[in-house]
Amino acid sequence: MALLPRLRRFAAGLARDPADGDDLCQATVMRALEKRELWQPGTRLDSWMYRMMRNIWIDDSRARTRRAETFVGEEAGLSVARGGGQEEAVTLGVIDRGLRTLPDEQREAVLLVMVEGYSYKEAAAIVGCPVGTLNSRLVRGRDALLAWLGDGV
Amino acid sequence: MSVTREELAAFADGELGEPRRSEVEAAVAAEPAMMDEVERHRTLKARLALHFAPILDSPLPQRLTAPLSATASKVVDFGAAKQRRAARGVARWGWILGPALAASLALAVFLPHGSQAPGGYAGPQLTAALDDQLVATQASNAPTRILLSFRNRGGRFCRAFAGQAQSGIACKDDQGWRLRVTEAGAATAPKDYRMASSSAAAIMARAQDVAVGPALDATEEEAARGRDWR
Repeated sequence: MALLPRLRRFAAGLARDPADGDDLCQATVMRALEKRELWQPGTRLDSWMYRMMRNIWIDDSRARTRRAETFVGEEAGLSVARGGGQEEAVTLGVIDRGLRTLPDEQREAVLLVMVEGYSYKEAAAIVGCPVGTLNSRLVRGRDALLAWLGDGV
Repeated sequence: MSVTREELAAFADGELGEPRRSEVEAAVAAEPAMMDEVERHRTLKARLALHFAPILDSPLPQRLTAPLSATASKVVDFGAAKQRRAARGVARWGWILGPALAASLALAVFLPHGSQAPGGYAGPQLTAALDDQLVATQASNAPTRILLSFRNRGGRFCRAFAGQAQSGIACKDDQGWRLRVTEAGAATAPKDYRMASSSAAAIMARAQDVAVGPALDATEEEAARGRDWR
C-alpha cells in the first residue's frame, strides 16, 4: 500500500499520461495480487512490482501498435494536483512533451534513475539489461531531454 | 585524462566506484565544462523530481486502493516488507526527496537564486524547530518546515529546512545547529518558477554532497531526536 504513490508516478511517466498511468497501475496491482505467491520474501517488493508494471506496459504497447492506435493527445499534460500558475503549467507541459519524444528504452532509464532514485544496478535489473547499457540509455535520454528543454533547465 | 559522458553521468549520480570516482572528481574540478555538465545532470534530476512530486502527494483513486484493502489481510505484508528494506539500509534518496521536495515546492518557488554560506548558528526559533520537529509529524503550517535529515561525513546529524526567514541546511555540533548553507526565505524573494527549480536543485545537490548514506526515515529521525541529535 505504501508503494502505491510511487507505482502511480512511474506509471504516469511510462504511459505518458496520468489517466493511462492509473489504468496501468491498476492492472499491475491486480496482477501482483494474483501472483503474490511468486514474490520471494526478502527481495524488494518495489522492484518486483516495477518489473511487473513494465512487462504489462510492454505487452499493452504491442497490442496497441498492432491496432495501429498510437495517437497521444498533445495537450494532455500532467493533470494531477496542478498548482494552477500559468507559468508552472507551461513548464510541466514542456517536461511531459519532452519525455514523450524519448524512445521507450531511454525514457524508462531516465524515469527509474532520475525520478525513482534507483541505482544503475537496480534499474538494470528491473529492465533486464546490463548496467553499461542502462548507463548509456540514461545518458542518451538525458541529452535528448536537455536538448528538448533548451538551456532553461 | 579522458572521461566519457557515461562516466560523468555515473559520477553525478554517485555510481562510480573507487579509484575511478576520485579520478573523475579531480578531472571535473579541473575542467569547468565538465562541472557544468554534472550540474546540468543534477538540475535536470531535481526538476524531474519536482515535476512528478504532485503524484506522490495526491489522493489515491479508489479503484487503486480497493483491490488492496479487500485482500490486504491475506496479502503480502507491505509494512514488514518496508521494514526489511529499511533494515538493509536501502531507503533511497529519490524516495525521500520526492515528498520532501513536494513539501518544499511552495516555499522553494520563492527562493532567490544563489546562496551564501555563513559561519553562524541557528537562532532560538530555528533551533527549536530543528530540535523538535519531525518530518513525518510536523504541523503543515509550521513557520519552518524540516525537509529531511541525514548524517554528514563527520557523522553529525544535519537537517534541511525551509521557512519564512531563511531556508538551508544546518548540522548539529557541540555548540548548536551550525548553518552550512542558507538562502533568504519566503518573505523576501521574487516569485519565479524557473529560479525555484534551480534553487531547489541547489539545496538538493548540496544535501547530497554533504550527506553520507541515505536520509533518515521516520523511525530513525525520532530516535535521533531522543538522543538530542548526537
